Amino acid sequence: MKLDVNALGTFYRMAREGAGLAAGRLTHMTEVETQVGVTKLNFMRGREIRRDFEDATEKVAVRVKLTGAIEGYSMVVFERENALRVVETLLADSDSETDIDVDAGEFDEMTQSAVTEVGHIMNSGFIDGWADVLETVIDVSTPEFVEGVTAEPFFGEVDETPDEDDLALLFQSSIETVGTEIGFSHYLFPKRESMAALLDRLRTSGGIEYDKLDGFDRMAERGAEEVAKTATTLTGIDTSVEIRRLNFVSLEAIPEQVADETLVGVAFEFDGMPSGYLLFLFDEESAHEIVDAMVPMEVDEDGFGEMGTSAIKELGNIMASGFLDGWANVLDTTIDHSTPEFIHDMGAAAVDPVIIQLGENQEFAFVFDTVVMADGREFDCEVYAIPDENDLERALNNLDVDRIEETPTTAEFQELENS
Amino acid sequence: MKTYGSEPGAPTPVQVGISELVVSEGDDTLKSYGLGSCLAIALYDPESDIGGLAHVMLPDGDAADNSDRKPGKYADTAIRALLRRMVEQGASYTTVESKIAGGSDMFEFESFGDGVGQRNIVAAKAELEKLGVPLVAEDVGGEYGRTVEFTPGTGSLVVKTADERAENGVTEL
Repeated sequence: MKLDVNALGTFYRMAREGAGLAAGRLTHMTEVETQVGVTKLNFMRGREIRRDFEDATEKVAVRVKLTGAIEGYSMVVFERENALRVVETLLADSDSETDIDVDAGEFDEMTQSAVTEVGHIMNSGFIDGWADVLETVIDVSTPEFVEGVTAEPFFGEVDETPDEDDLALLFQSSIETVGTEIGFSHYLFPKRESMAALLDRLRTSGGIEYDKLDGFDRMAERGAEEVAKTATTLTGIDTSVEIRRLNFVSLEAIPEQVADETLVGVAFEFDGMPSGYLLFLFDEESAHEIVDAMVPMEVDEDGFGEMGTSAIKELGNIMASGFLDGWANVLDTTIDHSTPEFIHDMGAAAVDPVIIQLGENQEFAFVFDTVVMADGREFDCEVYAIPDENDLERALNNLDVDRIEETPTTAEFQELENS
Repeated sequence: MKTYGSEPGAPTPVQVGISELVVSEGDDTLKSYGLGSCLAIALYDPESDIGGLAHVMLPDGDAADNSDRKPGKYADTAIRALLRRMVEQGASYTTVESKIAGGSDMFEFESFGDGVGQRNIVAAKAELEKLGVPLVAEDVGGEYGRTVEFTPGTGSLVVKTADERAENGVTEL
């Protein structure tokens, strides 16, 4: 089973199309203006999905079985509280007899059926959208309501449970309505043969052998560990790192993901296999904190003067070396990077030159995004690593899978709130 | 975050994201946030109060095979799409004027060549000239980001930089 960018791009379009249809139907049913956004598309393994469900939060899901062009399961998952909020927001006004009590300990029959109805509308909206994009037919079973705090209720009864290594897609999405935004996850876990057949149809290039996707995880982990280590050494601030999963996004979506505020950042271009761009973005407060930590004497500068700028650049430079060395180790290659470019400007404006440059040759990008945090002090750093897609595909194909297994990992994968 | 809804009626100002273009009229405001090397292209017809804003990312759509699907992504195809949609809504081709903002070059990377922002400015100007649409004002280039807000009815294009108190903090074109 092989993946390529065209196939992944099709999944992205499927997600958008599906979200549009789901929103339209929710609006129609509830008469409440609703938008459904898909923020990210993640590729996961069965074991990662299980980890998502074993985080001790109460979740509810609406699951349907798919047959036809895609065989497997589609599942819309809410945190329990959010499911209630959705139902309350969307249905409370439209039907006064549906009296939904958010504080209720148990889901009563009414609530359960309301959640199932909303979940089913979303599932079938998404799936019809996918079928449109694929110009095919996908049949949907009657919905099942599932709740629980472990993976068992969600996967236990499924005849084709995603195995440890099976590919699944996670669409991180949200519903926006009446001034609130409620996040949910939408999982697709297709049968392996069905997915393989679909990917074969969608693929237009050689593609990446699916088993090599482990290389992505290792790159993300190694890069992040190195960044946290160097940051701590240089600033004396204890940092920890959270890796968001590898994302596959349309280039345009990247600047939109960056905080809509003035940020301080350091940008690099890197060259090797792969080549690409690397950005570290700090909010202003964190940047000041870092300057204070790195520059021993009292600095009397307005904003970020010479001292502040060079401190941030130095930190960025060392973090970049660590990050790219982490990658190079996994890929058994060398990756060089440019001198740092300092920016203190609107966050999106710092990112768009990079996506423009890549946009000449590609429509989508793999983004390794990672957040470095410090306990008790301001040190929030977003790391965006955006490799050239052809290079990345080649680099991963050159990867010796047996070697990956020998490279143990210590970093924790965690899902972050997408604020 | 980008959302995909099915119904119009989005709140004002309407956000014009990267590669998008929106045509509107009167006092509606169209806004593009955080332009770096991207370019905002505003077209308006003072006679009919119809205008539109595009937030383009690349110069040359004619050379790209997806410009039919995403005309707003490229300077040349975005200008043509804006004009066409405005005329469809009642604007008169001959009285349309234009303003542009953005196209900074934030970084001096080797891979960027002459500058990614500069390429967008050159392409937009060339297409406007080809179509005979006068460019009446511009705030382009430099090494800083911009947020723009456009009102089709007045043709006003307000350009803000990150530090609004600075000398070039807010400019109205």
